[in-house]
Amino acid sequence: MGTAPTADILIVGAGASGATAAKHLASEGFSVVVLDQGSWTSASDLPGDKPEYELMWGNHLWHPDPNMRSRPEDYPTNLDDSEQPVYMYNGMGGSTVFFAGVWSRPMPSDFRVKTMDGVADDWPISYEDLLPFYEATDFDMGVSGLGGNPAYPPGGDPPLPAHPIHLTGRRMAEGLNRLGWHWWPGYSAIPSRAHKNQAQCERLGVCRTGCVVGAKGSADVTLLPEAMQHGARLEAGARVSQITVDEHGLASGAVYFQDGVEKFQPAKVVLVGANGIGTPRLLLMSESARHPNGLANSSDLVGRRLMLHPFGSVIGLYDDDLEDWVGPAGTQIECMEFYETDLSRGFVRGSKWHVMGTGGPLEMATRWHIGEGVSEEPFWGEQFTAKMKQAVGHSVDWIVHAEDLPEEHNRVTLDHEKTDSDGLPGAKITYKTSDNTHRILDFGLNRALEAHEAAGATKAWITFRNFSSGHNLGTAKMGDDPETSVVNRWGQAHDVPNLYVIDGSVFTTSTATNPTATICALARRTAAYLVENRREQKVSTA
Amino acid sequence: MSITDVTIQPASAPVLSEEQRARLAVLADLLISGGAGLPSASGAEVPTQWIDRVLAVRADLDATVRAVLDLEGDPGEVLAGLRAESPELFGAFAMAVAGAYLINPRVRRGLGYPGPAPMKNPALPGEAEAYLEGGILDVVVARGPIYRPTPTS
Repeated sequence: MGTAPTADILIVGAGASGATAAKHLASEGFSVVVLDQGSWTSASDLPGDKPEYELMWGNHLWHPDPNMRSRPEDYPTNLDDSEQPVYMYNGMGGSTVFFAGVWSRPMPSDFRVKTMDGVADDWPISYEDLLPFYEATDFDMGVSGLGGNPAYPPGGDPPLPAHPIHLTGRRMAEGLNRLGWHWWPGYSAIPSRAHKNQAQCERLGVCRTGCVVGAKGSADVTLLPEAMQHGARLEAGARVSQITVDEHGLASGAVYFQDGVEKFQPAKVVLVGANGIGTPRLLLMSESARHPNGLANSSDLVGRRLMLHPFGSVIGLYDDDLEDWVGPAGTQIECMEFYETDLSRGFVRGSKWHVMGTGGPLEMATRWHIGEGVSEEPFWGEQFTAKMKQAVGHSVDWIVHAEDLPEEHNRVTLDHEKTDSDGLPGAKITYKTSDNTHRILDFGLNRALEAHEAAGATKAWITFRNFSSGHNLGTAKMGDDPETSVVNRWGQAHDVPNLYVIDGSVFTTSTATNPTATICALARRTAAYLVENRREQKVSTA
Repeated sequence: MSITDVTIQPASAPVLSEEQRARLAVLADLLISGGAGLPSASGAEVPTQWIDRVLAVRADLDATVRAVLDLEGDPGEVLAGLRAESPELFGAFAMAVAGAYLINPRVRRGLGYPGPAPMKNPALPGEAEAYLEGGILDVVVARGPIYRPTPTS
């Protein structure tokens, strides 16, 4: 087995969290090695500037479901017991390559849901603890937005000016004002003007199929180049099969496969940022005599509390041409009116909404074909062209994200039958959307229909009621108590003091917001902790 | 052979027979009959160059399209039967036809969608501020904070 020189820091996964930590730690003088099972994605290969881009998003190369892509770097997910598909992208930049760039912070109450609402668990950290790290990563990712939002405490304004809310946002904002509901120009990890490595957004509106102009805050554009400039070594096509542990119970490195060859990367400290599915999979695969239930799993919570964070959407049609394809796709405006708990609504916690660009003509055809109520209406045949002409360019699309509270039966386990291209176990997903999450979504979708009516829509309907967001969260819970959590407030495994989890796995609760801003802030906070405590950090000397 | 005899096909692109294209024309026109100033599916060359473009990037739809084209019987009854008994197959076939139709630049133009592919549209200086003119945010700000602060104890 090939062995490389010992790294100060080994990071598994080059997505949002791994790239954040790599950049910061390498810039502080640590020797950093990053292993990722995927490779670099060339902007010229991405679908977004091609006529067939909407079709290509669903093909075997670019589908957000790894089972559909089935590339060598994609491990299988067994969905037999999951209501939802699981989305992710395996490669340099991770799922930021495909994310919409929606950049959203939780509210202060998100970190105290047990104290304030009597459900789930408080996070061991507060909004205020994370605020400096949100500010730092906002700058790293080229975040654009408008300060002064009354949905948040003062401070931490975005570093770049907001994008235009465009005709869609303006139209809906007028409707929300009639209702007296909150709205605010959206926040995007997409620069409104050129910023460091990022080009100015060209507003093609294809963010979810990858940014073809190098504007979006994909970690492979923003963070990884800087990490490499500071000396980090990135290994593509390097699939980790096991985190090793020495005789003192400390992580000593990782075994990985690269081009079919098994190799070993020794390290003093190991960080895992393989997303809410890949991280528990790796920890469970890292079982040993010392850790027979999987690494860092004395609590039996590794893989449990999976939150797939389902969303719903409501589309409305308007007489005016609103140019609904104009980007950035992620957010024209957001609404936090129904975020906080109001028990009179019949559920606890709430939802975050944002207006997204609808996309191209085929997306609009899909919305007609699958929409609640409209799918039974005549569409094909003589109606097709008339309905498409009524809709293309004339729509506003509300996305409603529900908080998805943790439940231990929703989980990731190993599937030894369905294996990846290196023969390693796939991930078995067990997930059922809870009644509370259903109620949040149903309520939010009904209110979004009202918002369309107030904004003057001629027709509106629900196109998704409960669908996986690609936000894979909660499977290595953060908490103070080793018996009821996997990692502490710094992301440090309770069981293995030089092993840290830095991705969305550590979310104590899902919040109702898009998670990447928090994932990056947590990773940056862990990295800062490692810098500050470098002399006290226990390390493997194996 | 003159140069005009040469037909260039995308690499590895599946090719439908003339019979299959003729059947596709009939079925596709039932799905997209045209109107509102837009052509029918066959009028938009769906059964020829545009279905080829679809199958070139979506090899996974090749079997779906061929399976439907192989179904014998009255075209209207075939589609109605599919929709009732195999809605997923119907949906995949219909979306392949719609995808072919909707990448035709003439159709896009007719729908008001700009360009054959997503177009660059960078924001103009002052555009963001212009959309907020008229004090549209004032009422939101005036209502004050809507968050619950972190408890102090």
